[in-house]
Amino acid sequence: MKYFGARQLLITLLAAFALWGIVAIGCLCAGSTGFHWPTHEQMAIRRGSVLTASLIGLALGLAGVVYQAILRNPLADPYLLGVSSGATLAAYVWHLPIFGLIFGSSVLGIAAGEEVFAFAGALLAVGIVFLLAMRRGRLDPITLLLVGVIVNSINGALFLLLNAIYRDLPSNGGPLTFLVGGIQTNLTTAHQVIAAAIIFAGFAIILYLAGQLNVASTSDAEAMALGIRIYRLRWISLIAASLVTAAAVALSGPIGFIGLICPHVARLFVGSDQRRLIPISAALGAGLLAIADAASRALSSEALAQTILPVGVLTGLIGGPFFLFLLWRDRRRGNRGAI
Amino acid sequence: MSEAQTILRCEQISFAYRRAPVLDQIDLSLMTGEVVSILGPNGSGKSTLLKLLLGELRGKGQISWEGKAIGRWPRRELAKLVAYLPQNPLIEETQSAAEVLAMGRAPYWGAFGIENEKDVAVIEAVIEKLQIDQAWLSRRMDQLSGGQRQRILIGRCLVQQAKVLLLDEPTNNLDVKYQLQILSLLRELAKNEGLTVLMSGHDINLAAEFSDRLVMLSEGKKVADGPPTQIMQAELLERVYGIGVEVITRNGGGLVVIPRHSSTTLTTG
Repeated sequence: MKYFGARQLLITLLAAFALWGIVAIGCLCAGSTGFHWPTHEQMAIRRGSVLTASLIGLALGLAGVVYQAILRNPLADPYLLGVSSGATLAAYVWHLPIFGLIFGSSVLGIAAGEEVFAFAGALLAVGIVFLLAMRRGRLDPITLLLVGVIVNSINGALFLLLNAIYRDLPSNGGPLTFLVGGIQTNLTTAHQVIAAAIIFAGFAIILYLAGQLNVASTSDAEAMALGIRIYRLRWISLIAASLVTAAAVALSGPIGFIGLICPHVARLFVGSDQRRLIPISAALGAGLLAIADAASRALSSEALAQTILPVGVLTGLIGGPFFLFLLWRDRRRGNRGAI
Repeated sequence: MSEAQTILRCEQISFAYRRAPVLDQIDLSLMTGEVVSILGPNGSGKSTLLKLLLGELRGKGQISWEGKAIGRWPRRELAKLVAYLPQNPLIEETQSAAEVLAMGRAPYWGAFGIENEKDVAVIEAVIEKLQIDQAWLSRRMDQLSGGQRQRILIGRCLVQQAKVLLLDEPTNNLDVKYQLQILSLLRELAKNEGLTVLMSGHDINLAAEFSDRLVMLSEGKKVADGPPTQIMQAELLERVYGIGVEVITRNGGGLVVIPRHSSTTLTTG
């Protein structure tokens, strides 16, 4: 009988790190000038780009696996739940002139305020989804998707409205970035450091709870009988996952499907044990988004795209069909209740 | 085995969903090593009673485990004393039987869900005790038969090293062979290890054969509590279930309850 000790935890973390490391090195080599080891100047630019993409991907892969565990729903994902668009909208609202007047304009203050607003937006979105899709302690998968779609549309519409009124706001690469998500190139170091701190803190909290999240797959009564304070666990994980999502999308806008794909792919490799699943899913997220980012950089050299393609375009192109595949597979299994 | 002691004492427990009363002033106690079955028609409050004893639901009245009020037990500590299996356990289809068994160690886990050799030793002892086939362990739960699955889930309760099992219809959906297997297993654990079992059920004859005591609930009230021979009375059963009943004595002694088809309420309207 195998068991999961401190050694296994360490091995899992190292494997996750190695997985990401290999991908990241590959991504450093990709650029608009072809595939080769970067020159000194290219390195400076690409390193930031790869690290930012990895950080955002890590956050989304992590949030996805947590949402799927605590909502007991394999279709849960920060993007589909509307969390990402809620956070992006709120982070954008932060830049309205009125808040600048109230809170001043130091670089650190702007970055921190943006994260706070993004977090509030994420919680508000997830709160609405909970309120409308919860039936007797369970989230109905179809209602969940419907509410997520609507919340996304409302957030999108509000964003475009604000964007039309306030044309000269800084940050966020315009309406396109909001709709598909993309990694901004004009981020300050304060932005990146604050986001990284929040995301790694969230990662630590979630990893600490990993064993308990395994038990969250049972009913509430069973989880309690196994000594888990299930309601507290659910709240803490939900807040941690939303915080991590908010920190990430404040940098990038709502990038879709990373949070949906990574847990599923990770499950193919390590099974459903959250203690292995969480680090691997996070690493896959980091790797996958770094690849998507590198690919959009490489594509920008081709004639088809004169500007850098927002990375959300690629994740949407891969993730959308993957989502349809999941639906199709579960329909074939006749497993409508749980999807 | 040591002298039996009172492990659970309930006084005057009542519970209502919204305004509708479900349980009304129930007194109940359990001694260590006792196997007790709760019987009663659908909706008589059996499942609710078990959930109150687990602390998932809170009602009126006093519930104390080992002399300590239920509200004063930390969740983790209570989990080391009392294990519970609901009528329809929720199982993640992709989880393997081994993972489900390992979950029973949750009350003993450290941070990050880290396990040690002791956890493995306990799980292996349970696998041996329940004669769980090694081949099942790597299988996904949805690839096991109903009986195998139930065995794994009862195994999870034993892995908890609890002294009391609260089982809500543990033989639900099992064929007769598995019903007998599970019930004799519980009987044996009570006899050999002093495990206390409180379970709900519908088959009065099976319950009588494997229990020391039967508790009869009807419309949220406890109407009878005693050794099987005392409960298996035609007059009591007819009143509780609203059907005609015949109680006959078997060859080897012991009573058997047979419902009379002709006078069921279904046919009379």
